[in-house]
Amino acid sequence: MSTSTIRERLEEIRRQALEALSQSLEPAQVESVRVRVLGRNGELTELIRSLRSLPEHERPVVGQLANQLKRELEERIEALARELRRRRIEQSLAQPALDVTLPGMEFGRGRIHPLTQITGQILEIWTAMGFEVALTPDIEDDFHNFGALNFPPDHPAREMQDTFFLEGGRLLRTHTSNGQIRVMERRRPPLAVVCPGTCYRRDELSVRYSPMFSQLEGFMVDDFGKVTMAHLKGTLTEFLRAFFGPEADVRFRASFFPFTEPSAETDVRCIFCKGAGCRVCKQSGWIEILGCGMIHPNVLRAVGYDPQKHAGFAFGMGLERLALIRLGVEDMRLFFENDLRFLAQF
Amino acid sequence: MRLPVSWLREFIPVVPAPEQIAERLSLAGLEVETIDRIRPAFSGVVVAKVLRVERHPNADRLTVCEVDAGPRGQFRVVCGAPNVRPGMMSALALVGARLAPPKSANRTDDELGAPVGAAVIRGVESQGMLCSERELGLSDDHSGIITLDDTASPGDDLATILFLDDHVLDVAVTPNRGDCLSILGLAREVAALFGLRLKRPRLRARLPHRSRGEVADRVQDDAPISVEISAPDLCPRYAALAMDGVTIGRSALWLRRRLMLCGMRPINNVVDVTNYVMLEMGQPLHAFDLDRLRDARIVVRRAGQDRELETLDHVRRMLDPDDLVIADGRGPVALAGVMGGLESEVSDSTKRILLESAFFEPRTIARTSRRFGLVSEASYRFERGVDPKGQVDALVRASVLMRELAGGREMGKLIDVDVRRFVEPEIEVSLERVEGLLGVKLSAAEVARRLKGLGINVKHKKGGRIIASIPSFRLDLREEADLVEEIARLNGFSDVPAVRCRPLREITVEDRRRQVTDTLRACLVGCGLFEVATLAFASAEQNRSFAGLAGSDAIRIINPLSTEFGELRRSLIPGLVATLRFNLNREAQACHVFEIGKVFYLEAGELKEAQRLGILSYGELALGKLGERRPQADFFTAKGMVETCLTSLGLANKVDFVRDPAHCVSWLHPGRQARLSLEADRLLGYIGELHPELASELDLDDRPVVVCELDLEQLIAYGSLRRNVVPPPRFPSVRRDLALVVDRDVPVGQVQKVVAQAGEGLMLESVELFDVYEGASLPAGKKSVALSCRYRAKDRTLTDAEVNQIHAQLAAQAVRQLGATLR
Ligand SMILES: [Zn+2]
Repeated sequence: MSTSTIRERLEEIRRQALEALSQSLEPAQVESVRVRVLGRNGELTELIRSLRSLPEHERPVVGQLANQLKRELEERIEALARELRRRRIEQSLAQPALDVTLPGMEFGRGRIHPLTQITGQILEIWTAMGFEVALTPDIEDDFHNFGALNFPPDHPAREMQDTFFLEGGRLLRTHTSNGQIRVMERRRPPLAVVCPGTCYRRDELSVRYSPMFSQLEGFMVDDFGKVTMAHLKGTLTEFLRAFFGPEADVRFRASFFPFTEPSAETDVRCIFCKGAGCRVCKQSGWIEILGCGMIHPNVLRAVGYDPQKHAGFAFGMGLERLALIRLGVEDMRLFFENDLRFLAQF
Repeated sequence: MRLPVSWLREFIPVVPAPEQIAERLSLAGLEVETIDRIRPAFSGVVVAKVLRVERHPNADRLTVCEVDAGPRGQFRVVCGAPNVRPGMMSALALVGARLAPPKSANRTDDELGAPVGAAVIRGVESQGMLCSERELGLSDDHSGIITLDDTASPGDDLATILFLDDHVLDVAVTPNRGDCLSILGLAREVAALFGLRLKRPRLRARLPHRSRGEVADRVQDDAPISVEISAPDLCPRYAALAMDGVTIGRSALWLRRRLMLCGMRPINNVVDVTNYVMLEMGQPLHAFDLDRLRDARIVVRRAGQDRELETLDHVRRMLDPDDLVIADGRGPVALAGVMGGLESEVSDSTKRILLESAFFEPRTIARTSRRFGLVSEASYRFERGVDPKGQVDALVRASVLMRELAGGREMGKLIDVDVRRFVEPEIEVSLERVEGLLGVKLSAAEVARRLKGLGINVKHKKGGRIIASIPSFRLDLREEADLVEEIARLNGFSDVPAVRCRPLREITVEDRRRQVTDTLRACLVGCGLFEVATLAFASAEQNRSFAGLAGSDAIRIINPLSTEFGELRRSLIPGLVATLRFNLNREAQACHVFEIGKVFYLEAGELKEAQRLGILSYGELALGKLGERRPQADFFTAKGMVETCLTSLGLANKVDFVRDPAHCVSWLHPGRQARLSLEADRLLGYIGELHPELASELDLDDRPVVVCELDLEQLIAYGSLRRNVVPPPRFPSVRRDLALVVDRDVPVGQVQKVVAQAGEGLMLESVELFDVYEGASLPAGKKSVALSCRYRAKDRTLTDAEVNQIHAQLAAQAVRQLGATLR
């Protein structure tokens, strides 16, 4: 290749490059020109490489010309790229402002059922207080649901709980108190256990009742004298203050359950009217929350414990009821109808 | 049990305010549900004695009466009633009195009618009026003026003597406290709560005959009937009293009022007296027409060979041989303690009656009453146990009232067959046990004082022990713990302190089940699903259609609420579909829900229960920006949710989605369903679109409803919440694409699997699908599967040449194994 052809070639590269740059409107186009001309295998890069084959005396002149062109193109490309970037920024800033009140993208969060949420909160309190969680079956036999819990056959106490009977003499548990028997017959004291679960009674689904509902049974058993009615009061008061707030006012009323003796019902000062009397508390100022008592000696005997040596307390609470009170609504059906407009509020 | 305060006053003359009684009863375990304020529907009406009755000078049907209202004076009134007689006691509305307004639908109870004025009726001045029951709002009777018995005195305020100004407490009596199903029992409790004295009603009576055997013989006992107990295990005591000269009629107004206040309907004077005594003393009584009892015999026995009895309610009852009946010389005349027989019922023509007062064993009454679905006021009390010593007192009380109200006389002695003479049981209470159960120390004197207040006699013994003898009406007190409750309950456990428990021990039980379900819930909520809770019941048809994942059959409920709820569900899907329908009926456009719940089934004759996860997804997913199309739920949106769950449990690689035409789920679209199999051979669940036929039955549009049901038990058993955590790689990866042309029916999953296996040991990190193409540029029956393979070395940057070589090796192997060609 002669010097003159190289000169011509340099001129050609320059003309084409400038032509291409003048048509470049996007930084990417400028970049592609740079790669084509100045890249590792670019036109000018190749040419400069080829200069090594020229006779030594001719090299400085054309070499200088080539390097001049390289510098010139580099500068122009850099300037053009800078210019294009500046223009894009100006364009972006010149755009009209967003209507920031338009909706954001929807991410369709699902919901956990309110009962699950309340149950979770309650279990968290009990486990923090040192109780373990045990799950027990829904299908039960007469012994675990009634007999061992001191419900004699044909006793009117069984009528408090209208039972669904299944084949083979089995039944759907009417309360989670079967948990006491199921756990105690396998293990020895000391025990502190809560058993959440589903229960069933023959009530039509209505504002106040459901044929299926949830309860949480809890109990604590230890050596006689270590677990007393006083501990029961202390433990339940602590739970209720954790659940309803530290200012919750708690009272105990005598009651009857076949499986506890003494038996009591526990009320909380109405959280809606602060005790003044309202619709929720039926003007009494108190809301009934749970039933409790000292485990009946016959129950301890039924699981092979000696009531002279061991004693314990037990309690049971309806979880829908707690949820209704917490949410300030009254209709039990809300939990089982699954109206998405209700569920969406959680 | 309804407790009128006026009735309570007969036992406790000075009682506290109704609200106070209610509060103390409630704290002590007898919850007072409501306090009803009873007010008369009139004012200014007094008792008056009719002195003279003369014909009205100007009207045939009217009379002019002189009446005496005691201290209020004498009055002349015009009266139109046919029953007005000289000497009778009736109700006089003085001038200015206000009567009950005429009944109308929207009248409030507090309103009174217009005042009574002095009027001139057909030329004669009337200074007030004599009133009918209807005019005073007492009943619908307007046939004549009120007749009062001679316990009333002229001038008495009518509202007071008829107990029309009262409070009635509605007390919820727990099943152990049968003794509180009477005014007497509640009065005992109130007296104990407030430290008041109890006054028993005075009983006048002849000494009853006592029989120690099982038979009271008629001739020997000078009685018109003999009594024999031949089932002493079911009826240890039977007392009876015959009465002669009874006139059946309406009861006195005050007695009818009291029955009605307590929620009972007045029938006639004889039946009303038995009910009155039952309410007052808690002992149910039954009245037979003595002349209808054959052979002058009463036998208390099992029904045995007798198969049938027509009861008072005109129902023919089929007897069980073990049912306890009252029989005469020929056959059953009453279902003992539950209901009388029609044959021996007291009727308008009855002249002689036999009153029965017995103790029946609670269990036998409960069994019979439950079998017939027949709960009466009597059976309710017998089931809860009546006072075993209360039979004779109740009979005596009834005879006194019968004489006064029905004009009867006792015939012969009172019969009392008492097979098991009652002995008061004794229970020992130790102060140490009291403290051990209650957590509070009480002195022996204090314990004794509290027990005595409840009518329990106590003897002190050495070492802080107390012997309590239990009165016959408190047989619910059976052991020491029961007495501890009595000691503590009267003030609502208020002297028991509240003591914090120290946790018994550190508890670190890992509840896998809860961890797995919590993880799944978090995942599904993240996918936009709402958790729902549906009832665990199903119809037989639903269980047949949606058979679920396990078991041979559904579990039937023997006593279901309805056939719609006749069985326990085998699958969560029907409940989810019902939830969809429910919400579509309420304007919902989409429904994306899940449930974690139990299903039930029979397996090899065993009743089983198991947890399932059910998913239902229909309509647009709430995902996207304004103006952009949101994705519609279909097989793959739901599959993505399931895959997310499986990944969260570390099971993504252990579960396959298999198309298995041989075991299609019938209610899913045959071409759009898959079985989920765990570790290749275990059935984990299924997923698919509802069969279009089913969807059209449900009146859905063409958009697919995708459902999925998974066996949570297996997920819990297999799922691992532990993660194999690896640090992020330090060297870059290199990607090479691979497009394989295979037969159309080769599942993409299989192509991926083959490629992944081919890459084992070749530094292949992952294989990702990025396109599936079928079309004109390919031979017929073929599809192109485009995969992106990522290679990485742990310890260096791979070179192009190296990767090219590995990739070619992998491609060749995949082509060979799949019979594919490269595209
Ligand atoms: Zn309130």
